[in-house]
Amino acid sequence: MQPSSKEMQAMVGGLPASAVAAHIALQELHNGGAADHDDFLDQMMSGLAPAWQMGLGGYDEASLLTSRLRQHQAAGGGSPPPTGKSMLLQLNHHHYAHHASPQQQLLLQSMGLPPAGGGGDSGGFLPLPLSLGSGGSRDSGLLFDRSREEVDAPFKSSDSTEAEALYNGLGESLQRAAQAPNHHQHFPHPQNHRGAPPAASGSPSTGGGAVPPRPRVRARRGQATDPHSIAERLRRERIAERMKALQELVPNANKTDKASMLDEIIDYVKFLQLQVKVLSMSRLGGAAAVAPLVADMSSEAGAGRGGADGAAADDGLTAAENQVTKLLEEDMGSAMQYLQGKGLCLMPISLASAISSATCHPRPPIPGGLSQLIRRTAPSPHAAGDAPSSPSMSALTVQSTNGGGDADVSRPSRCKD
Amino acid sequence: MESKSSTTGNRDNPNRNLHGSKTMMASHFLRALFRIQQTSTSSSSAGRSRRIRRAAYASMAYSAGTRRAWSRALLRKLRSRARLRFPRRLSRAATPQRRDMDQAQVLRKLVPGGPSMDDCKLLEETADYIRFLTTQVRLMQTVMDSVSS
Repeated sequence: MQPSSKEMQAMVGGLPASAVAAHIALQELHNGGAADHDDFLDQMMSGLAPAWQMGLGGYDEASLLTSRLRQHQAAGGGSPPPTGKSMLLQLNHHHYAHHASPQQQLLLQSMGLPPAGGGGDSGGFLPLPLSLGSGGSRDSGLLFDRSREEVDAPFKSSDSTEAEALYNGLGESLQRAAQAPNHHQHFPHPQNHRGAPPAASGSPSTGGGAVPPRPRVRARRGQATDPHSIAERLRRERIAERMKALQELVPNANKTDKASMLDEIIDYVKFLQLQVKVLSMSRLGGAAAVAPLVADMSSEAGAGRGGADGAAADDGLTAAENQVTKLLEEDMGSAMQYLQGKGLCLMPISLASAISSATCHPRPPIPGGLSQLIRRTAPSPHAAGDAPSSPSMSALTVQSTNGGGDADVSRPSRCKD
Repeated sequence: MESKSSTTGNRDNPNRNLHGSKTMMASHFLRALFRIQQTSTSSSSAGRSRRIRRAAYASMAYSAGTRRAWSRALLRKLRSRARLRFPRRLSRAATPQRRDMDQAQVLRKLVPGGPSMDDCKLLEETADYIRFLTTQVRLMQTVMDSVSS
């Protein structure tokens, strides 16, 4: 009985604490998420409403954007939104709304609306259904091979009493474990009977047939048939907590699926690391340092793009394009992925010119960024297809790989801005 | 950095522990940046960018201290002067199957100190790592803006 008593004690100690933590986190999530979302929406509505979004699934990076917008508003009171300078097409695949300063067009920016209503507030947190019988069969080493129903449960939004419900359900299931090892019900009873008191220590044994009408107060250390299942449940619950915390951090966290949530997390970490890398490449302090970059580019890129590089002496796009050319040499797919991660896309020049002509009617607060670019730089909309000597328009755009397949990488033209 | 801390402070409510370390991160990074600028005015741009990147991760790790597994691992890596190697390379292994079963492994490779963590701790460390990474990225962007304006 040694292991079981130890684990039961651990569970008793751990559960109330984590219940409190979960509850607090839930509250904060509500507050924080709502506030964040409102702020971001305000900023968005005040003139950055993107005219055309090719679908939206993106990381909106609300925090980055909002802080930047706030800074600018604080600093230059009413200065035009920084998105005016450099905009880009969006992918319809999931992407990260990246954001750069107006002065430095290194990292091209793509505006995105937060996912409709769902961006910041993922609401509460439905606890995992408790499957006692099947708990023992899980391999404790594997993190993510849960069944779908268990996996989906933590990410449904609900109110904040779910944390209590978890422990109510836990207690109840413990009690039922004595009778039915295969019990895996989740009891969404919004009651506040979650008491830690071990008063019901004798209840599991007396559970018998009068289980349903019993009060929700249950001892955590009920009669555990299976120490593995308890440890398993504890572990799963901890993991669910952590995943919830991660959901707050990672934008686009409205995935209900644990596996896809993990994918998002992984992509986000990769993206952040890539951002650090790109930012460190860009901060080279002046045109003198940028010249070698430009020279590099022209030597690597080949005939089609050689001429344009000399003109684009600004370090606006060169670092990103540097990276892209390097990646293009080794693998087309990785270049695509890189650009996707930055919220850029590659498209045939004909399409780009078509788009530019379509959006090239003067409308002051043009939300969609590309038209800004075009209006500013290219008097002739069709210059996108011109010879590289005339740096017209830089839609460095990667076509989403799951979209149209013709990634006509012929000549993404260059923009000088 | 005042405006930055004020704007970002209210956003990450559960991340109160980050607030104090932001200024430390900023000062450390700026000092390192200054040093880099002084010492290597005409060296290769790749070397400089590498050094800047290293300084970024160093300031992250220093401000996180030793209470986090990832920061300890990062400090260890930095002190041994090893080349900062990150799985930046968009691995082809990831593309065939999106929902690869060893997502935890992929994550372990990304987060410093990952391989020696169990899943639960991995998620916790990932959250902290993401927090510090976002702060660092914001910091770098702010510096870049102010430098180029």
